[in-house]
Amino acid sequence: MLSSCRSDLRLVLALAALVLVLAVISLMSGPASITPRQALSGLFDGQGAEGIIVRDIRLPRTLLAILIGATFGLSGAALQGLLRNPLAEPALFGAPQAASVGASFMIAYGFAGATSFAVPLAGIAGALVSVGGLVAIAGRRASLTVTLLAGLAFASFAGAGTALILNLAPTPYAALEVAFWLLGSLEDRSVDHLLIAAPFLLASWILLALNARAYRALTLGEDAAASLGVDLNRTRMMVVVGTALGVGAAVAVAGSIGFIGLVAPHLVRRWVGSDPARVCLPTALMGAALLTAADIAVRLIPANPNATAIELKLGVVTALIGVPFFLAMIFRERRLLEGSPQ
Amino acid sequence: MSAILQAQGVGVRLGGVPIVNGADLSLRTGELTAMVGPNGAGKTTLIRALAGLLPFEGRIAINGRALAEISARERARRIAYLPQGNVFHWPLSVADVVALGRTPHADPFSGITADDRAAVVRALTITETETFATRPVTTLSGGERARVALARALATQAAVLLADEPTVSLDPRHQLVVMQLLRDAARAGGAVLAVVHDLALAARFADRVLVMDKGRIVADAPPGEALTAERIAAVFGVEVIPVDVGGATVPVASRAI
Repeated sequence: MLSSCRSDLRLVLALAALVLVLAVISLMSGPASITPRQALSGLFDGQGAEGIIVRDIRLPRTLLAILIGATFGLSGAALQGLLRNPLAEPALFGAPQAASVGASFMIAYGFAGATSFAVPLAGIAGALVSVGGLVAIAGRRASLTVTLLAGLAFASFAGAGTALILNLAPTPYAALEVAFWLLGSLEDRSVDHLLIAAPFLLASWILLALNARAYRALTLGEDAAASLGVDLNRTRMMVVVGTALGVGAAVAVAGSIGFIGLVAPHLVRRWVGSDPARVCLPTALMGAALLTAADIAVRLIPANPNATAIELKLGVVTALIGVPFFLAMIFRERRLLEGSPQ
Repeated sequence: MSAILQAQGVGVRLGGVPIVNGADLSLRTGELTAMVGPNGAGKTTLIRALAGLLPFEGRIAINGRALAEISARERARRIAYLPQGNVFHWPLSVADVVALGRTPHADPFSGITADDRAAVVRALTITETETFATRPVTTLSGGERARVALARALATQAAVLLADEPTVSLDPRHQLVVMQLLRDAARAGGAVLAVVHDLALAARFADRVLVMDKGRIVADAPPGEALTAERIAAVFGVEVIPVDVGGATVPVASRAI
């Protein structure tokens, strides 16, 4: 057990180094090309054009990618631990979609500027309804079929809600703004976006990480976990609120981004094994690395400069990678899924 | 032998329907008590109430203190519970599964203590699971999984062990192995209550037998007194033949009435 702690530490350090390297690359990436040295000097002394580009434009974007990636990774790991299911992920449960309904309502009707607390609060409210409803419906046995069907229902309903908002948007410009925002992006995010999202994201990490031991005990099922002293109602409540805070705030500043919570824990398991408690910290770092890498990719892949969107959208890229990955996972586990009575 | 866990007038309702009524029982240190009864008699519901997992009427006390008065963590240190079915949702190693039994002793600010390590090693040794301690638990056979599940419950080193059908779906040899382990756990100073479907196993291994029928405890006595042919006929609806096994007379069901 001690040796496993040491190998976990090595993995955590390696992933932290990876996040750091990706962060520097992210500071260098964009329309104006900047060398690593210019990026670092711009970051630390803030002088000249490089200083403005790095500090005011690329740093908030990079930090948001790290924080949001870590949040999605950790909420995936937490939901998988709570529901004892490697296919659990906020996007499959309609959480980002439901958060989008709340946030896009605020944006479309101009109730809130993009940097007001009203957008994340509306996003959190939406995510809370979907994750809370899902955990309530999944119930004691948390059967895979019930969970996924309920998730599908929430996602579809949220999709309809968003479509309704687009449909009834007061102006075509508002509809267009919401439509692009829904695709998910970190382009042109400022320090203000960082400041309104960060408190919610940090609160979500604390709530989700505090239950790591409970996720491990839940390996034995709910009754055995309760008999080991785990307060199941408290754990459920903390995971629901933690996921909603994280996903709601992330969607409010970055739009809909999915599948990090599915991919990150899966990648980490090949090194740390299946223990749902040991997966948490490396998964958060892996999520941060994945989203930062995806956000670098959208800046490097040339998109049509005549189109309205100059960059590829981040949510599009994560879905294009995440969905085939999800299908591959289903394919690999299908015998287990078919054979399972749950 | 002193009573460590006592239940008085315990009643449990599930969804408004009374499942257990007026159950009185006491578990004593050093004793293996078997609970028998037909399907739907309320055995699992009663044992879950005793483990503190269900709301109940009446009083359940451990060491003289009511369950409601002690924290979940403290309760977990004193009462180990082995549910039906030996469920393992993730392919953890056997040693990691058994170490879960130490959860109630874990302190958020300290890692694994020497006591934890010793308890895990002891549980692995007595259940003879140490040879596959590093294997993923999901790759084991039914008999091996049952012993790992039992090792997990034993690793808590609780004063009371409640086991719900620990021998179900095991081959005859593993049924005997598991019953012997439960009796050893009692002899080593625990109070053990096991739900058992096989009347012969209950008669052979238990010091005392509780017979449940329609939510009530209808007998609480040594096996010879509790498992009479008349009572078995009335409760289970079967005729039995007494068979002598190693000096103990055990009932073997012969015909449905």
